Amino acid sequence: MSWETVIGLEVHVQLLTQSKMFCGCSTRYGSPPNTQVCPVCLGLPGALPVPNAHAIELATRAALALSCKVHETSVFARKNYFYPDLPKGYQISQFDQPLATGGGIEIESPERGRLTIGITRLHVEEDAGKSLHDRLPGKTAIDLNRSGTPLAEIVSEPDLRSPAEARAYLTRLKQLLLYCQVSDCNMEEGSLRVDANISIRRPGETRLGTKTEVKNMNSFANVERALTVERDRQIKLVEGGGRVEQVTMLFNAGSGEVRPMRSKEESHDYRYFPDPDLPPLVLTRLWIEQQHAALPEMPDARRDRFMTVLGLPAYDAGVLSAERPIADYYEAVVAEGTEPKTAANWVMTEVLRGYNETGQFAVSSEWLAGLLAAVKDGTVSNQAAKQVFAARAGRGSLSVTVEMRGTGKTSEVSPRQLAEKLGLVQVGDVAALGGWVDEVIAANPKEVGRYKAGETKLLGFLQGQVMKKSAGKADPKKVGALLAEKLR
Amino acid sequence: MSGVAAIADGVASGSAPAAAVARDTGERLRRAADLNATLHWSQELLDRDAARLDRLPPAERARLPLVGVPVALKDNIVTTDQPTTCASRILEGYVSPYDATVVARLKAAGAIIACKTNLDEFAMGSSTEHSAWGRVKHPLDPARVPGGSSGGSAALVAAGVVPAALGSETGGSVRQPASFCGVVGVKPSYGRVSRFGLVAFGSSLDQVSVFGRSVDDAARVLAVISGNDPNDATSAAEPPMTLEPARRDLRGLTFGIPGEYVPADLDPGVKAGLDRAVQAIQDLGGTVRQVSLPHTRFAVPCYYIVAPAEAAANLARYDGVRYGQRRVGPEGDVRALYRATRGQGFGPEVRRRILIGTYVLSSGYYDAYYRKAQQVRALLADDFRKVFAAGVDLLLTPTTPTPAFKAGEKTEDPVAMYLADIFTCSLNLAALPAMSLPVGRSGGLPVGAQLVAPMFADARMLSVAAVLETVLDATREVR
Amino acid sequence: MSIRREDVLHVARLAELDVAEADLPKLVEQMGRIVGFVEQLNEVPAGEQAPPFLAGPAKTPLRADLVAPVPLVRPPSAIAPEFIHGFFSVPRLGAMEGE
Repeated sequence: MSWETVIGLEVHVQLLTQSKMFCGCSTRYGSPPNTQVCPVCLGLPGALPVPNAHAIELATRAALALSCKVHETSVFARKNYFYPDLPKGYQISQFDQPLATGGGIEIESPERGRLTIGITRLHVEEDAGKSLHDRLPGKTAIDLNRSGTPLAEIVSEPDLRSPAEARAYLTRLKQLLLYCQVSDCNMEEGSLRVDANISIRRPGETRLGTKTEVKNMNSFANVERALTVERDRQIKLVEGGGRVEQVTMLFNAGSGEVRPMRSKEESHDYRYFPDPDLPPLVLTRLWIEQQHAALPEMPDARRDRFMTVLGLPAYDAGVLSAERPIADYYEAVVAEGTEPKTAANWVMTEVLRGYNETGQFAVSSEWLAGLLAAVKDGTVSNQAAKQVFAARAGRGSLSVTVEMRGTGKTSEVSPRQLAEKLGLVQVGDVAALGGWVDEVIAANPKEVGRYKAGETKLLGFLQGQVMKKSAGKADPKKVGALLAEKLR
Repeated sequence: MSGVAAIADGVASGSAPAAAVARDTGERLRRAADLNATLHWSQELLDRDAARLDRLPPAERARLPLVGVPVALKDNIVTTDQPTTCASRILEGYVSPYDATVVARLKAAGAIIACKTNLDEFAMGSSTEHSAWGRVKHPLDPARVPGGSSGGSAALVAAGVVPAALGSETGGSVRQPASFCGVVGVKPSYGRVSRFGLVAFGSSLDQVSVFGRSVDDAARVLAVISGNDPNDATSAAEPPMTLEPARRDLRGLTFGIPGEYVPADLDPGVKAGLDRAVQAIQDLGGTVRQVSLPHTRFAVPCYYIVAPAEAAANLARYDGVRYGQRRVGPEGDVRALYRATRGQGFGPEVRRRILIGTYVLSSGYYDAYYRKAQQVRALLADDFRKVFAAGVDLLLTPTTPTPAFKAGEKTEDPVAMYLADIFTCSLNLAALPAMSLPVGRSGGLPVGAQLVAPMFADARMLSVAAVLETVLDATREVR
Repeated sequence: MSIRREDVLHVARLAELDVAEADLPKLVEQMGRIVGFVEQLNEVPAGEQAPPFLAGPAKTPLRADLVAPVPLVRPPSAIAPEFIHGFFSVPRLGAMEGE
């Protein structure tokens, strides 16, 4: 029997603000427990919320980046339920009048090719605190530092048709949100969380089957794994004559299994109503347009520009535009005058290697551009330049500062200075080269004779002899040209 | 007992040190102990605060508008110096780590916090019989209630212990006890006074409100505590209220009396008090005419949906996790913690309102109850807007349907108790400024009349009340 | 619309409030009376519509994104019923586990 899988994803991202959603506490990660708290995020008697303007800005930009319609008026609502790390006994969120609705993102589905996945809504809300079950024996420890952190909740339409597509959606969503710098989108650190809804139905059926909710997945790969397991479980169940029950399933990363939550409690009745402590959020059309204008060039547009304006092939353009820091770095190198394809080769190999390892650029874009300029004018060969780069990036052992003679000040060593220090500067001086060329011609009369007789391949051999004589420092191009001239 | 202005002048000029006021206040509190109107106070704190004021350079002291004035605070306004219990076991011993904005403003104006006063638990009630620490007695008749929920504050002002006190209103909890006790009670326009630090009951209705021995006492305190607060998103953008210059008469002003507020079966004493007020207005040159507020009869049902719904959510934070008293049921898990803490920590009226509030918000009922009530509320507010737009400057109504009733009279039937709010709760629903002014006595018990002004016309309402006060003898029998 | 015993027990569960068996009958009756009373709102003429009332300002003010918390004059440990190694502590989750 064949089945169609229907998946919808709810993603929560922490917004990159200094302070919390409704109070002035810091959002800094890693402080001692319960030290970044105040009456508001502790839910003390008498405390009241006031929304963070920057959180609204970031959420608006995220919504625009996802092609949503941002509403001029939206309303904060109370979502009422009890949990030890929810201080007020309700979460301030948005319900029937959210900040944004009706967007979509383009993904590359492994099964269906390029298509748009709908985004039902994006709204803002506050995070709860953290419950730690293993910290105190027989008890749960509560840390409210995280309570009140601004979140954007992004809900997709149930447009995804496979676990692999779900993963592709998440990858793309993360790329877009990182591009506009609204969140770190880091699942390991908890700044991005995913809940999934999944159901199955017969192909051609338009009604949705009963869905289950899957939670506790801590990586995109695990989302794909968990949904695969749950899909298979539902199929097996239905094919065996059973019915899918609307339950919440938890993924266990260790065993790779999904199991239903222990409690068989009735589903929550959140009793949403507009929060009487917060008047409506009113944004002007002009302000929304300003947020739109403040968006960076998004990855697809950037990729297209790399192709059409900078002339890069599709593959290169794709790699270089995938992450904004890389794209910014690449363009900075080009802006210094480097030829786009040269810069592309270097960034995709030497630079990306280090960046993927450390998340940092070991060498500044200006410095790299300077190095590539030295290659262009023949000061160093391309091969030698790689050694210079490696040294600068710290994989060599030489220091990178020089003292400016007489001033006592140190500054960063320039690419040319470092090449010199490493003894990698090419010799391009015609007189010196001419001397070596003459010596080699004199020392190899047989090969010279054969070359003049028509064996043009021997130029390479003679060139190699000059390179050896120069201990590799001769500019090979100039050597070749000189040899050709002298042997005419 | 001297008024606010006299005390402040005395302390500012140096003729009466704050220390003397502190000792005198302590004496009065001790003598009034039988009223059971206070939950916390200490002579040490009074003396400490007074000493700080006395040490100030005279020029600085003279700049403080309430210097040395003892003000009592309802025990649902948080203070760092003394506990805040909201008259509930669930908050027994809780000492807030921050001061309410109104407390900070009083302190900055040189006032002395006299004590925390008794109230109906979490401000839910109309008689101050629902306190975990016993009921408050009416200063003139201990068998009667002072009204509620701010009964403790009302009683202390009426008994001459303090010239002014803060209470809070959600459905009339300052005006109604003011009327019962024969003092002035003022509810400002919604948003006039910060709610930051007022323990929330019905957020869209709550306002810190003021009792005064006289209109001037209440007005001076209101001027100090009012004004926008960046910590309260519902506070109006308005600056602190400035008082109008004293009026000499009421010429040129039109007062409307809504027929719906003068039912045929209105208590004769209350009716006579209202007539007194009408006479006084006319004697002062004002015009009185009949008006109609057609949706009046929906006010109490509307109120008893909106207030409990918001309260149910506002009281969810009392769970024994982060503060207050904790109890754990036999199962020993978190749920047992919640249910025992809340089941045993909250009194029966609070539990009832939480259950009603949860019910009207629960799945399937939101549209039928809460959303509908908010729409009816708009209709009520519109009634007032139309009347004010038709040439009426203020409204005049009775404050309460009867004078102070006997303790125990209404505690069996919650609906009967709710109907005590019948003339007051519409103004909380409409967010309008309203106040009660004592107009006389009926069988020895105080009777009040209510003034209502358009949104943000608080200062006008107070200046009108001030001139009326000069011609009304609040201690005289009305019949 | 009358209130039944099950309705009261249901909302008591939602509100995490213990209701003693002995109190239940009276509570059911009182709540029934209150709900019956507030249902008077159904008598508002159907034609009269209004958008829901807004008590405060028409739009919410926003805060600048600065780290400037309302200070606490005493730390969480001073007000907490139970505070261990810097954490608020509660009994094990039990029935709430996995939510």
